[in-house]
Amino acid sequence: MTTEMNAATVEILWTRLVSLVDEAATTLVRTSFSHIVREAHDYAVVLLDREARLVAQSTQSIPSFICTLPATARHILAKYPVETMQPGDAYITNDPWMGTGHLPDINIIMPIFRDGEHIGFSASVAHAPDIGGRIRSPGIRELYEEGLRLPPLRLLKAGTPEDAVFTILEANVRVSEQVMGDLYAQLSANEMLGRRLVELIDGTGLDFNAFGADIQRRSEQAMAAAIRAIPEGVYSHRVEVDGFGEPVVVNCTLEVRDGRLSVDYSGSSEQVDRAINVVPTYTYAYSCYALKCILSPSVPNNEGSFRAISVSAPDGSILNPRFPAPVGARAMTGHLLPPAIMGALAKVIPDRVQAAPGSPLWSCHITGRHAGKPFAFLFFLNGGQGATAAKDGYPAVSFPSNLGNTPIEVLEAQAPVRVIERSLRDGSGGAGSFRGGDGQTTELKILADSPVTVSFMANRLEIPAAGLNGGEPGAPGAVLLNGTPFDPREISVIHPGDVLTLKTPGGGGFGPVPN
Amino acid sequence: MTDVRIAVDIGGTFTDGVAVHVETNQIWVAKSLTTPDDPGEAVSTVVASLVGEMRAEVGDGAVSEVVHGTTLVTNALIERKGAPTAAIFTKGMRDILEIRRELRYDLYDLHFTLPDPLVARNMRFELDERMAADGTQIRPVDPAELEGLLDHIDASGAQVVAIGFLNAHANDAHERAVADFITARRPGLSVSSSAAVAPELREYERCTTVTANAYVKPLVYSYLNALERRLDDQAITAPLRIMLSSGGFTTSKLAAETPIQLLESGPAGGVLSALNAALTHDFQNILAFDMGGTTAKACVVTDGEPGIARSFEAGRVHRFKRGSGLPLLITSIDLIEIGAGGGSLAAMSALGTLSVGPASAGSVPGPACYGRGGIQATVTDADFWLGYLDGSSFLGGTMPLDRTAAETAIGSLADALGMSVDEAAFGIHDVVNENMASATRIHIAEKGYDPRDFTLVATGGAGPVHAVAIARKLGMPRVLCAPAAGAGSCLGFLAAPARIDKALVQTDELKAVPWTQIRAALDAMGEEAREELVSAGACAADLIFEVDVEMQYVGQGNSVSVKIPLDDVRAAYSGALFALFEEHYARLYGRSVPHGRPQVVAWRMIGREPIRHQRFLREADATHHGRAATRRLYDCERGAFVEAGVYRRDTLGAGTVLQGPLVIEEAESTFVVPFEATVRVLDDLSILAELF
Repeated sequence: MTTEMNAATVEILWTRLVSLVDEAATTLVRTSFSHIVREAHDYAVVLLDREARLVAQSTQSIPSFICTLPATARHILAKYPVETMQPGDAYITNDPWMGTGHLPDINIIMPIFRDGEHIGFSASVAHAPDIGGRIRSPGIRELYEEGLRLPPLRLLKAGTPEDAVFTILEANVRVSEQVMGDLYAQLSANEMLGRRLVELIDGTGLDFNAFGADIQRRSEQAMAAAIRAIPEGVYSHRVEVDGFGEPVVVNCTLEVRDGRLSVDYSGSSEQVDRAINVVPTYTYAYSCYALKCILSPSVPNNEGSFRAISVSAPDGSILNPRFPAPVGARAMTGHLLPPAIMGALAKVIPDRVQAAPGSPLWSCHITGRHAGKPFAFLFFLNGGQGATAAKDGYPAVSFPSNLGNTPIEVLEAQAPVRVIERSLRDGSGGAGSFRGGDGQTTELKILADSPVTVSFMANRLEIPAAGLNGGEPGAPGAVLLNGTPFDPREISVIHPGDVLTLKTPGGGGFGPVPN
Repeated sequence: MTDVRIAVDIGGTFTDGVAVHVETNQIWVAKSLTTPDDPGEAVSTVVASLVGEMRAEVGDGAVSEVVHGTTLVTNALIERKGAPTAAIFTKGMRDILEIRRELRYDLYDLHFTLPDPLVARNMRFELDERMAADGTQIRPVDPAELEGLLDHIDASGAQVVAIGFLNAHANDAHERAVADFITARRPGLSVSSSAAVAPELREYERCTTVTANAYVKPLVYSYLNALERRLDDQAITAPLRIMLSSGGFTTSKLAAETPIQLLESGPAGGVLSALNAALTHDFQNILAFDMGGTTAKACVVTDGEPGIARSFEAGRVHRFKRGSGLPLLITSIDLIEIGAGGGSLAAMSALGTLSVGPASAGSVPGPACYGRGGIQATVTDADFWLGYLDGSSFLGGTMPLDRTAAETAIGSLADALGMSVDEAAFGIHDVVNENMASATRIHIAEKGYDPRDFTLVATGGAGPVHAVAIARKLGMPRVLCAPAAGAGSCLGFLAAPARIDKALVQTDELKAVPWTQIRAALDAMGEEAREELVSAGACAADLIFEVDVEMQYVGQGNSVSVKIPLDDVRAAYSGALFALFEEHYARLYGRSVPHGRPQVVAWRMIGREPIRHQRFLREADATHHGRAATRRLYDCERGAFVEAGVYRRDTLGAGTVLQGPLVIEEAESTFVVPFEATVRVLDDLSILAELF
């Protein structure tokens, strides 16, 4: 059928496939309890062909999920071969190495059958409201502290729940109603996607697998053409942030040749016994994300889009750590990959990159008791955007993730805190032909009637975000307790009346400062 | 006494007017080019023309009401033509307009642009006052500090002041005190406070809303005053009613206080017009589909009620990108943009497929067939090539279309894609329909409905051209096309009820709702609304008071609205409310949550008249039933051109039954049935195509 299709029919069926996936994603988002799923789109729903290759991905997914679910499906298939699967089966795992790089992301795969024939898979991943273990902190030393790990397991057998899996999960998480609710939300999305695909095939006679191969080929060619527009050569760049003693180094070498692009991270830091290690799927996802921004933002994500790209990192490095390295705060290292790749390409395609932003993402997690009741609250903060060759960076913008702030009024209604200030840090963006965006100051007072536990992701307190092509670095960030510098890397207990001040870093400037 | 009501809608190109005779339902229509520098001028022209036309039948001085909608507010926000505005925030918070929510609206665009705040930093001031989240006063307003602030505001050159304090949705005493203080000291300065405009949680969105309201307030105030004077000059003493985005209208006095609510009045009128036509035939579930030269919009109406959204984005940097505009917390009819209209450009994508839009040829140069210099093929070119539009009668014959230009434009795309011109033309038509159908499908899914239960109601110049094909893609069984009368929104204005929306934003678990307190607060709002509605011309005895109860399970962020009569807000109804919520939730999401704890996050009171469903009659020469001609038309099911009937709408009498494929032409649009289907002309001269 594919060979007979004209360019309009391909477009229409492609739109239909993406729209099926988006419709399933709508179901997942709207029933989810996890605010990070709803507000930060920390999920993905995908359609895979019968070889578990990506055919279509939901439009709204965040960067960390690019191309992870096909890999997850292959891990599941290694344990449960497709011949053993039947309609109504569902499989689950949250293993960081097989999934997305940390435990809270739960992956669910279901085979799709039509008239008894296996034609593909529906797959989803979503950030669970809780996964047990200690609260997230870069200071954690082993994966086992980070929560419950589910190796690939069958979750539904021909539509019937496997009680043991449900029971164990429910018994090991804090807000079990919400976690189980989200699990059902994912299952509904997966089931709907399978049903809709079969309806589409019934209505159009589409040969789904042949069509999938066709659009993968088209995406592959589009990406290869975009790569050919970059001058061939080898380009490298090094990015550093504060670590535990030693700085964390991401060293990136890009080779562009024959319409292919390889990224290698040799020369980056060794893995550490803190939770900032990044498993290879996440290294791959964030590398592909940066390249897609630069090269081909409008090409839909599928298996073909990234065939021309390869990503590698030395075994035992911070970007390819050995089990059971802790990984919960992976973003603190993973968020350095886009600035590293952009830095490498800044000399050859300066108008298509941006300077380092005030990332990695910051977060603040506060738990405790107030008025006799427990509370827990997590919020995110961002630094300034990196400048580009054409424009100043915006202040306080999330990059490379896309996690917004929590409104002050929501924060104060849900946690015993008072926000004293949320303002821009004037002049914290790096100078240059174009200035980096400013960071922000968020200051809050603890109103709880007993001591509270706080943990953070907060970096670039010492090493600022570098400028590009002669631009100056942004200002480093700062974390203060009652006006005095405070180490955010370990979990701490602070007291009623204490005032926390979080100053996020400015973004790097671009180009030399004009005389 | 003879009564006539008049509606006037200022649109981008034309200012339209319709007068309706209240007893006979006869309508008169008038039109004038919009006068952007002084929009009231076109309104006067249209009203004068209507009065002149009607005089023979109704005499003088019989106008009982003038309902008006305008794009003034939308344009002022897009073009940034509002008044110099200062703003006062809680100490430490003046940057919240610029910190926004820290999100990027496009994940892959490194070079995205955000809309600037409406109030620049040097015009943003702070006051050391504070309310807690529960409304408790933490720090009172210091009059001496405020006095000093006034000097700065004077020096800033502001004509209007917005006030946006933290937690004002919970307690607006400080905002009111500051507003009163400023009004007393500086009577010439206009003031707007956040809780009075939108008493909603979330400071960035609420403060953006109040700054937008303040920004357009002086403009709207002087416009409405001038308009009232103009109507006076024409001896029209009837009250002026202003259409709101919510699909209701209010007095010009209230409209001048919260002009931001006028934002989407025109599109809201379009939906009400479609709904009014559908209700005539008892179609309760409709998709109102409007497609023009530069935009296509859709609204889902269920059980006779249009979907309502509680926020709207104005002045988007990228029209189709959610998050690229200013978020405004206003009640509006929930219309989504599903496409860029007839001007959408077709191209070969980077993937070698035929893609259409979102880039548009706009009105200049416009489609290639307009012969104004456009060289890239558009949807209109394809529609023309396929025989769906007629080159000689387009826009009532005022704009002949150039067949060679269309062929050249489509041909060059066809060559690039290895297709014939016919294939490419149908490809363009089919791809744009699929894009619009997909956007609609997801929108309907988000609301938990099945498209097969809907009737599509088509409006706009290009709406009737594409409606039947889109309905078939969505599985909708029928398409209704009401007599357009060339003034769609105006008919909607005339069918609109008086309406007031008020909100009480307070979170309580359902089992712990303080019913007496909530009911007392809602009753007080109801009384206030009753007075306002009566002053807007509503009959007190007919008024309906309902409450949209926004509910969710504890821990969720999205809420579900359950509508109940105001009288049911009482403790004894708690169990029934729980059941309603679970039923509604299960319909939306497939199942309720076992052991979930429901909570109420807001009580939204709606006071309104019943929908003024009305039949409109227009004199027409509806005596012939024959076809005017035939022409080559592309039958999209046979995949080939066929010789199809061409009918003139104004000659089709009630009761006519026709078989597609066919086209029915009128001055404003063409109704296209591109395959076999039964088409009936109904008793009000609406056209109904039955597809399944």
